[in-house]
Amino acid sequence: MIDWPAVFEAELLRLGLQPGRARQLSEEATQEAADHAGTPADLFGPAHLYARHLVAELNAPDDQRGRQRYAPGPVFLSLAGVTKRYRRYTVFSGVDLTLRGGEVAAIVGANGCGKSTLLRICAGLTRPSSGAVRRTRRVGFVPQDGGTAGWLTAEEHFTLFGAAAGMVPGRARSTGVHLATRLAWRPSRRQRAQQLSGGTRQKLNLVLGELHAPDLLLLDEPYQGFDQGTYLDFWQQVFAWRDAGRAVVVVTHLLHDLQNVDHVLDLGGGGDR
Amino acid sequence: MMSRPWLHGFLDLCLLAMLRERADYGYGLSQRLAAAGVADVPGGTLYPALLRLEQQGLALPSWGPSETGPRRKYYAITPAGIDVLTGQADEWSRFRDGVDSLLAAAVQTVHREQR
Repeated sequence: MIDWPAVFEAELLRLGLQPGRARQLSEEATQEAADHAGTPADLFGPAHLYARHLVAELNAPDDQRGRQRYAPGPVFLSLAGVTKRYRRYTVFSGVDLTLRGGEVAAIVGANGCGKSTLLRICAGLTRPSSGAVRRTRRVGFVPQDGGTAGWLTAEEHFTLFGAAAGMVPGRARSTGVHLATRLAWRPSRRQRAQQLSGGTRQKLNLVLGELHAPDLLLLDEPYQGFDQGTYLDFWQQVFAWRDAGRAVVVVTHLLHDLQNVDHVLDLGGGGDR
Repeated sequence: MMSRPWLHGFLDLCLLAMLRERADYGYGLSQRLAAAGVADVPGGTLYPALLRLEQQGLALPSWGPSETGPRRKYYAITPAGIDVLTGQADEWSRFRDGVDSLLAAAVQTVHREQR
């Protein structure tokens, strides 16, 4: 047992808690263990795991308590009969969706069935072969990879993407850092994007997609490379966006998330339907 | 003793009920839960639940002296906590009555089959 309270406190900080709060929780845990006449490790298990568990518990939405879901808001995205073909090959056809603020849609299906293509059509980056797409003006798009510049730091990305959305640099930076903290990430001032791990670069992508407070968020497998704890954080974040009245579209291959989403677009096994 | 997956849904209710009776600290509450035969709650489950009650404004912490260490965190139920307790107690009795009626029917069937 090295120093349980110190490890616990450091992990709480890494997960985005304020220093004073982390210190207080660490002292309390030590005191509680003393009440049980044991060590913190005996009572709570390994410090870093208990820290993650505690933060997840404290952040968990209290839907067990019958929390009110907000009534769906205005339509932020609508697809009618959207079809994509490459020459004679039909990737998908006749996709319909009406997505309102306060709703989540999931795009699922096997690899190669066009999930990312459909998301790009939602974003207006790819034209459908036929069908109609209407979307709100304020859209955030988080691609599967790319979208970041390897030689820039996280804060430089915040400034650059903020400028594109008309935000002044200071506000873009502080917003970016704040959003990063909610994903259990503290951007370092010097580290360039190419030095970040794959999971952290995905967090950077997520923050950039959300920086200008879009009404519609389009996310392409943004948790790839995330560890388990961060993956949970990600879905909590999706539901927090939803509860803030935004519309969210997530491309996912993990089916166990689908019980909590409002719309499922199943593109099936891919092609030729 | 209740198995853990069940307990998770009812722990808050049990904690609020005990705090309604009197303010208490973590270890005291875990002793009372065990003595009532409800559960042997691990610390890693109990303390996060108490912090959640605090965060939701259902329980109010205060610091009191202890025999063993420097100080101890006591929780008292708030008016909002009493409201939640009342609502959840109703839900619990409906749930318990429902399970009881299903079990009673099952027991009767077993009896008939054994005859």
